[in-house]
Amino acid sequence: MTLPDRSALSRRAYVRALVAVGGGAALSACLDVTRDGDDTDPVPSGTDDPDSLPARQHAWNEFSSRDEDGNVQLPAHHALVPVSLASGAGDADADTEAGAAAESDSATAPSEDARRTTETALRTLERAYEWSPEGLVFTLGYTPAYFDRFEGSLPDSVDLPAPEALTAREDPAFDEFDALLHLASDRPDVVLAAEEGLFGDRDELNGTDLETDLTGVFDRHDDRRRTGFVGAGLPASKTDVPGVPESVPEDAPFLMGFRSGFARTQASEDRVTIDAGPFAGGTTQHVSSMDIQLDVWFGQDNHHQRVSKLFSPTHAADELVGEVGDELADTSGVTDDGIASAEAAAREHGVVGHAQKAAQAREDGNPPLLRRDFSTVDGDRPGQHFLALQRGIGEFVRVREAMTGADLDVSSANNGILHYLFVNRRGNYLLPPRSLRALPPAAPNS
Amino acid sequence: MAPDDPTADDSADSADRTTATGAAPATDATTTATRRTLLRRTGAISGALALAGCLGFGGGGDDNGEEDGKESDGETTDAGGDYGGRQPTVTVEDPPNAVFLPTHREAMRVEEPVTAGEFRFVPMLSYPHPFWTIAGSDDAAVERETPEVGRGVHMMITVQDRETGLVVPVDDGIQFRVRSDGERVGSPVSPWAMLSQEMGFHFGDNVGLPGDGTYEVEVTIPPLSVRRTGALAGRGEERVTGTFEFEYDDEFRHQVIDGIDYLERNRRGERGALEPMGAGADGGDGSGESDGDGNAGHASEMDHAHVPYATVPAVDAYAGTRLVGGASAGGAPSAGADGEATAADELPRSDDAPIVAVLFEADADESDLARLAGDENRAQNPAQYLLVSPRTPYNRVPLPDAALTASTERDGELVAEYELEQTLDSEYGHHYGVVVSGTGSDTSDSESSSAIRSGDSVIVSVDSPPQVARHQGYETAFLEMEAVTFEVPDGAEGGDTEN
Ligand code: HEM
Repeated sequence: MTLPDRSALSRRAYVRALVAVGGGAALSACLDVTRDGDDTDPVPSGTDDPDSLPARQHAWNEFSSRDEDGNVQLPAHHALVPVSLASGAGDADADTEAGAAAESDSATAPSEDARRTTETALRTLERAYEWSPEGLVFTLGYTPAYFDRFEGSLPDSVDLPAPEALTAREDPAFDEFDALLHLASDRPDVVLAAEEGLFGDRDELNGTDLETDLTGVFDRHDDRRRTGFVGAGLPASKTDVPGVPESVPEDAPFLMGFRSGFARTQASEDRVTIDAGPFAGGTTQHVSSMDIQLDVWFGQDNHHQRVSKLFSPTHAADELVGEVGDELADTSGVTDDGIASAEAAAREHGVVGHAQKAAQAREDGNPPLLRRDFSTVDGDRPGQHFLALQRGIGEFVRVREAMTGADLDVSSANNGILHYLFVNRRGNYLLPPRSLRALPPAAPNS
Repeated sequence: MAPDDPTADDSADSADRTTATGAAPATDATTTATRRTLLRRTGAISGALALAGCLGFGGGGDDNGEEDGKESDGETTDAGGDYGGRQPTVTVEDPPNAVFLPTHREAMRVEEPVTAGEFRFVPMLSYPHPFWTIAGSDDAAVERETPEVGRGVHMMITVQDRETGLVVPVDDGIQFRVRSDGERVGSPVSPWAMLSQEMGFHFGDNVGLPGDGTYEVEVTIPPLSVRRTGALAGRGEERVTGTFEFEYDDEFRHQVIDGIDYLERNRRGERGALEPMGAGADGGDGSGESDGDGNAGHASEMDHAHVPYATVPAVDAYAGTRLVGGASAGGAPSAGADGEATAADELPRSDDAPIVAVLFEADADESDLARLAGDENRAQNPAQYLLVSPRTPYNRVPLPDAALTASTERDGELVAEYELEQTLDSEYGHHYGVVVSGTGSDTSDSESSSAIRSGDSVIVSVDSPPQVARHQGYETAFLEMEAVTFEVPDGAEGGDTEN
């Protein structure tokens, strides 16, 4: 893989490009630049005591810093690494026992060995890096396709259908590989190193010896690998990428130019956690990857129009948002009135806000989704990897329907931000509790 | 060169209604001063084709937007880009709050029609255009898009239902995906629903291109969600795609620049509208502006005859009882630009949009009523259907994606209020309508019946104006639309019978 041209890019843009490329060469290049940059602080190391870590893989919030308004700060750099079970990771014995059904689709259940190796490798990451955005947080999630190889099916307490198109205008591809490793850190070099530690040829990570890696268990799908970033200043550092206009505001945390994911518009981790059955303590994850026509958003709409479409027309008229959301504290400013009036807003203003619509799917005033989405310039074009956690995929679908707003009397271009987004892929995952994160069967303890 | 080519220096003419920026920047930095304050915010544009700045061209554009503190560090090339700065950069300086004549007629390349499922679309290409986007109804909700660089095209399609021939005048999320040698070019594009005087309703956007070559465009048309009646019911329920190719080269650029036909200076900004494309060739219906200056040869230069043009029926083509417009609340009445009164002149106008209101009733217009009321209302035995059709003056282009409410008053008392639903009918095309009464719900002899009857007033109010982007000449009209009052003439029986 070719590395980006250092001389042509700013340091931030170069580091971002390295994360996108991935691999050992990118890592050492990344270490070279970060070493003479400001990221020279040592990365905090992790723990030898797995029991000190949370039971949920998705327990990130209490380990994250918050801004002055109490909003959780997501890690700045992300990699989504898709993998499938390697042919050597199957369980030969189980295969004969499972009989024809398992054999016919040639996917075998994973062996105990593969399971042990996976757990050992993940524990090594936890020893190497503190469980926090300053160190590393990660999840390993499994697709419905992964669970198909087992004889039993997932328990009713897990709502994990195969992904499908959710709007009439999209024709997405689906994540049908087995699993997705989500690596996240404020340090781009940590995201790269962790992936290299699991799949490359390194023998230490942050001073911790690597006992094993995942190369015998999983094959990576490089063509499906995804990366991204979130945080004030990062989007504005991407204007070297075609389609990312110079007018992305300097302080915007997302490419579309506004803050998102406020304390009060996010579900709590409790709210999204599966509360019964063998996977209690886990959650489900939806990942959709989309293009954004960002040049149109910034070039052809003005700030007033953008605020109307992203928040609500009232936000625009009353100037509630500020340039990038700086006027907002711990909520999007979408009020109960604003939610109730989405339909009226559509008729009276001819435009309805994305946040206003999405909030219609709240339950007793509580948002059902915990969004951990981030912006991307994968493939050298602007986009978003929309990653959301919820107790069941059905809840995601319901919120996405609210976002479609099919019942609203509003033109397509003014129906929130739909006009600007083009969904390319969708995937559904189960993030099991930490105790079951290594190649879980579909029906544990049965 | 056209005698009126504004790239020639005409700054001496101070009484002129237009400004020419001359040949220098491809960008139009000239402010269009109109009553709409937002149009003063010309700076708020960073360029739809900012993409271009990263591909090694452009950067010469004026980018001093108030929202854009940063200087483009893109490579500077000829400010004129591929078009040598010859795109029209003139604006009409103080346009009326009404439909007005733009500075020029566009030239474009019309590609062969493409079949996509139940639809057919005609691709059209021109040089990158300025246009205005709308998201709301107040001043700040309108934004002028000024293409920043001169490389790329204005890409348009007109979509037609193959069976009925109806031009689809609403957007449900059409997408363009441009490729070159199998490689994607830029982000996908959701073209804007747009109105232009010459092309009528179409979908279009400025699309930056990296350079000369052959491009392939995949057009996705999602299922229609708008209410459809008659032969259109049940059509357009599948997402379909179709593909066209075009050459972007010198020949193309010459064609779309040399074909531009400038209006005489003193006509620009006058109330009126250009005739629909192709009208010259097939005779048109005479409702267009009959401009004397050199339109001969314009239409024939490119074959526009097969470009479908969205029109709604002339006012006298509707069966049913036509409601009589009271004093027009919005805008002075106007004769056609050519001084000739047209049928549309009798219609009440709201911010220059003539509005037709027709009542269809069970006894008189049974088949129309049954069709318009649709299957979904059959159970309530519809007795009346109210059809409201706002359209552009001169060219009768429908004005879609507005929100309209009709209320009926009897002896000064409010009787009923209806949200009208945007509808496409195979016979009458685009309109906003509602089933007013059904024998199932109304007793026909009740004094308080909500059925509309003679003597009632029907007030059509515009909750939000048509949310469609506008080409030059339409950007100051159909925005601040006031309510229009109609009277129901004698002969409309309403729910009441002969007694
Ligand atoms: C590029 C894509 C997107 C951007 C830039 C974006 C941005 C935003 C912003 C600015 C808000 C308001 C601030 C906040 O409450 O966090 C918001 C709220 C929200 N968005 Fe998105 N969003 C995107 C895609 C999506 C998608 C695909 C979904 C899926 C359904 C979604 C679901 C939500 C939800 C549930 C809320 C909160 C609603 C509530 O307050 O209850 N967003 N988004």
